[in-house]
Formats: sequence, structure tokens, C-alpha cells
Amino acid sequence: MKELAQLLNEMRTAGVIRDYALFGAAAQMRYTEPVATLDADVLVAVSPTEGLDVLRGIYEFCSAKGYPPEGEAIRVGAWPTQFVPAFSPLTHEAMEQAESADFEGVPFRVVGADYLAVIALSVGRAKDFARILGLLESGAVSREKIGSLATRHGLSEEWRRFEGRFLNE
Amino acid sequence: MNDIRRLLEKQTLWQKSRKALTWPEKIRMAERVRESILQLRAGSPRDHGPIPRGPQR
Repeated sequence: MKELAQLLNEMRTAGVIRDYALFGAAAQMRYTEPVATLDADVLVAVSPTEGLDVLRGIYEFCSAKGYPPEGEAIRVGAWPTQFVPAFSPLTHEAMEQAESADFEGVPFRVVGADYLAVIALSVGRAKDFARILGLLESGAVSREKIGSLATRHGLSEEWRRFEGRFLNE
Repeated sequence: MNDIRRLLEKQTLWQKSRKALTWPEKIRMAERVRESILQLRAGSPRDHGPIPRGPQR
């Protein structure tokens, strides 16, 4: 993971990406106990391109550095890494507001707990719901904060359903 | 019954102690879990090809 942090910082310095932030399970583990995951997920902002392949620059940079593609991902050290262009106002904001964490001496931008929870809410699979519950249980985020952020991003109905299903007994 | 209760209490304490690990320590633990999952899947009779790499976020 340290290798990934170094690579992402290099990528940003080289101008291949404008910004990045780790999200998903690897980011969640800053707050909760370890969880099983097969990939690392990274939100990226890339400069507008003419073609459809917005990730081409990333793949070329990684290939030149000796990191090969592996299916939908690029293997960086132990981690197949999925680069996901920020695709919505929520993910853009999550990346902009990301926290600068320290991973064994390397700065690593990571999506904060509140945005992790609301991105999970927007995706809505069982494991995303488990992520929200884990983050709430850890005390990293409150119901009020998730509710407010969800409402701001048009997810109030999803949050209401989640609360009804998992939190309001 | 008391034995089961003690066992569950010990398990809860152990789980809580994992939450208190540093982030890099948790990531290393997840890496070991990941290796185990891949080994288990590779040995599974249901495995008929490469592991699908769907989004894990």
C-alpha cells in the first residue's frame, strides 16, 4: 500500500492526474477493524481528453514504471488497483475534501469517513451497507452527518430507507 | 453457558483490539486475508478460471 501511495503522489507530481483519493475498503480500515478485500480503489481526477479512454495516461505511466495491467486493475505491489474517475458531484467533492493520511511516512490522500459512508449509500450493495454500519459503530461518523451529506447529494430517500432497515428498531 | 459467554467476551475483546491497530497494520492484516482468500478460491472445485475482478469499493 505504501508503494501505491508513492506511485499516486508521483503521478500527481508528473501531471498524469490532477488529484486522487483512496476510497472503498482500504480507506474504511482507517476507522474500523480490518475487512477482507481483493482490490484497492482510487478516485482520480484526470485532465479532460479528446478520446473516450480517460485512464490511458494512467495506464501508460504505470506501465513505464513497471506496473502491469491485471484485468480491470493495475497491480501495484500486493494490490490490484482500480482507478475510478470521479464520476459525480459526490465523488468529486469526496476527493477534494480528502484527508492527507500518513502511511509509513508517505502522505496518502484518503476519502474521509462521512464521504465513504455516503458513497457506500449511493452504491447500495450489502457490503456497502455493512461499511456504513462499521463506520457508524467506530464513531468515525454520526447519523446526523451522513444524513446531512446524503440530503445534499440527493440521497435522502436512500438514507431514510437505510435508517428504517438497519437503525430504527 | 458461562463458558460460551466467556468465549464471546474474549472474542469481542480480540475484535476490539484489532480496531485499535494502526492503519498500516490493518492493511497488512487485510493483505494476509486476501492471500488466504485467493488460495482458497484457487483450490476450490468451483473455480473454473481467473478470479473475476469486479469493483470492490
